[in-house]
Amino acid sequence: MTTGSGVALATQGLAKRYGPRVALDGLDLRVPEGVVYGFLGPNGAGKTTTMRILTGLVRPDAGRVELLGRPFGRGDRRRLFEVGALIESPAFYPFLSGRENLRSLAATGAPVTSGRIDELLTLVNLRDRAGDKVSGYSLGMKQRLGIAGALLSDPRLLLLDEPANGLDPAGIVGMRDTLRALAAAGKTVFVSSHILSEVQQLVDVVGIIANGRLVREGPVETLLREEGSVRIRVSPGDVARAGAALAGVAGAPAVAAETGPEGGWLSVRFDPGRADELNRALAAAEIYASRVEAGTNLEALFLDLTGSRPDVGSAGEPTPPPATGWRS
Amino acid sequence: MRLLGANLRKLLRRPASWVTLLLLIALLALIYFALIAAARTATDPQAALGARLFVTFPRAYELVLTLILGIGGLLAVTYGAAIGGSEWGWGTLKAAVARGESRSRYSLVNYAAVAVFVIVGLALAFLIGVVGAAIGALVLGAGLDGMTDRDGLLGLPELFGRAGLALSMNAAFGYAIATVARSQLAGIAVGVGLFFAEGIAGLFLPDVFQWFPFSASSAVTAASGDAAIGGGGASAIVTQLDPNTAIIAVVVWLVVALGVTAVFTERAEIGG
Repeated sequence: MTTGSGVALATQGLAKRYGPRVALDGLDLRVPEGVVYGFLGPNGAGKTTTMRILTGLVRPDAGRVELLGRPFGRGDRRRLFEVGALIESPAFYPFLSGRENLRSLAATGAPVTSGRIDELLTLVNLRDRAGDKVSGYSLGMKQRLGIAGALLSDPRLLLLDEPANGLDPAGIVGMRDTLRALAAAGKTVFVSSHILSEVQQLVDVVGIIANGRLVREGPVETLLREEGSVRIRVSPGDVARAGAALAGVAGAPAVAAETGPEGGWLSVRFDPGRADELNRALAAAEIYASRVEAGTNLEALFLDLTGSRPDVGSAGEPTPPPATGWRS
Repeated sequence: MRLLGANLRKLLRRPASWVTLLLLIALLALIYFALIAAARTATDPQAALGARLFVTFPRAYELVLTLILGIGGLLAVTYGAAIGGSEWGWGTLKAAVARGESRSRYSLVNYAAVAVFVIVGLALAFLIGVVGAAIGALVLGAGLDGMTDRDGLLGLPELFGRAGLALSMNAAFGYAIATVARSQLAGIAVGVGLFFAEGIAGLFLPDVFQWFPFSASSAVTAASGDAAIGGGGASAIVTQLDPNTAIIAVVVWLVVALGVTAVFTERAEIGG
């Protein structure tokens, strides 16, 4: 089933303030139908606020939301009958079992077909522990139960906030397969996550926000290609000549010599899939690369676009990216 | 109905439901034990007579309910706050709203389940109290003839209805406080604080505080001019509201509490 517009979820100029703090500052999103959409941003960028607005928990100060092809605002709660959501941490009664919790949740919102609860418990591999109290569940089990809860009404649009939280590797693979299968069946999955390597494997389209605004949106492959870079190491004495040879292929502005403890590195902003062209140009100039690292990853792209910096080990001032990082 | 059924099943499994009931029954049993002991050992004939009154039927029916209202008011406000606040603390309200459930409907149906449990708890505590009074009557030689007194038995449904309404209002009051506080703990703390504050304040300004929730609710079964165990357990308070006026005050407080709950839940921004 499609909305006709081909857009499962869209926001326009979404704004929200909490006192003096701006959480969203004119957020524009466009999530096509039938894709897994990765919603990324640093802490405090506005991801959870967006999720809360999309599920009617919080009202925006300005802007519009469109869910499944129709405007969603105050009084449109029934639109959420076709939406499944897991916002922040999974919410359950600790004194009830997993199955009883799903029954309790199924009594709210859209009606749930009989047998659906057992079907979902099997899907998330909790059938054997369904009778145990949730208070005895691990974080990963609660997360799986939360995903089952989000799928209760067989939603057309699934909103998941950090769904991989607490999952073990098998759980992550299982979740990924489930979400991919849902997208293949025409449903739209909107996922926010901090596990960027996981997102890169899971999503079709990515939206990156920073400071409450969208900074980049598009298919993952396109973004990675556009933002890709190739790092090449040559003999330190050949750096200038190599730079000129590489500029002949990628253009002068795309080439930069890295200043790090290791000499001889050049960074070229270039489609990683065409790294062989750079290598060929060097060979033609009789310069031979000792190392070529092609490609980028979502993490590097994310850090670039959001202006984030790795902060582990920093004692105050932001730590600059390591010299061996992916950026030029 | 499916939401009410789910909430009733939930409360049945909830330890707080059973702990509250057991606490009420234990306190009631303790009071009767103390009354019987006091009646047997009291040297002051007035005190002995007063204690015997609690085990003399049919008046004992009314006094059992009055005792339950005195202790149960505090427990009901605590129970209401615990149930109402946990919906915010555990995020289960958030999950329901995100499924498209009506906020106020969810909240009020959840309260309705609380009220059902309060009334069931009242019935069980009443039975235990009547058994305690009967035992006391036997021990003190007061006899059980009054238990089958026709007028006393005919008046029971009305007394029970009044007590049920009063305790439901107390629970609604706690539920509303916890909803506004969005917290189980804050709801319980504020509810208990108000219970005792009202009792103490009522000592100094009885004309004003007789209209307040706990004082009014403790007056719904008392015959006009009788002493009732009022808010804050302040048994010294002579509740001045007559039972019919008290019922009106209780209904008003109930409507206010549920109105506050519905409006606040409807307007609140629901976070983590």
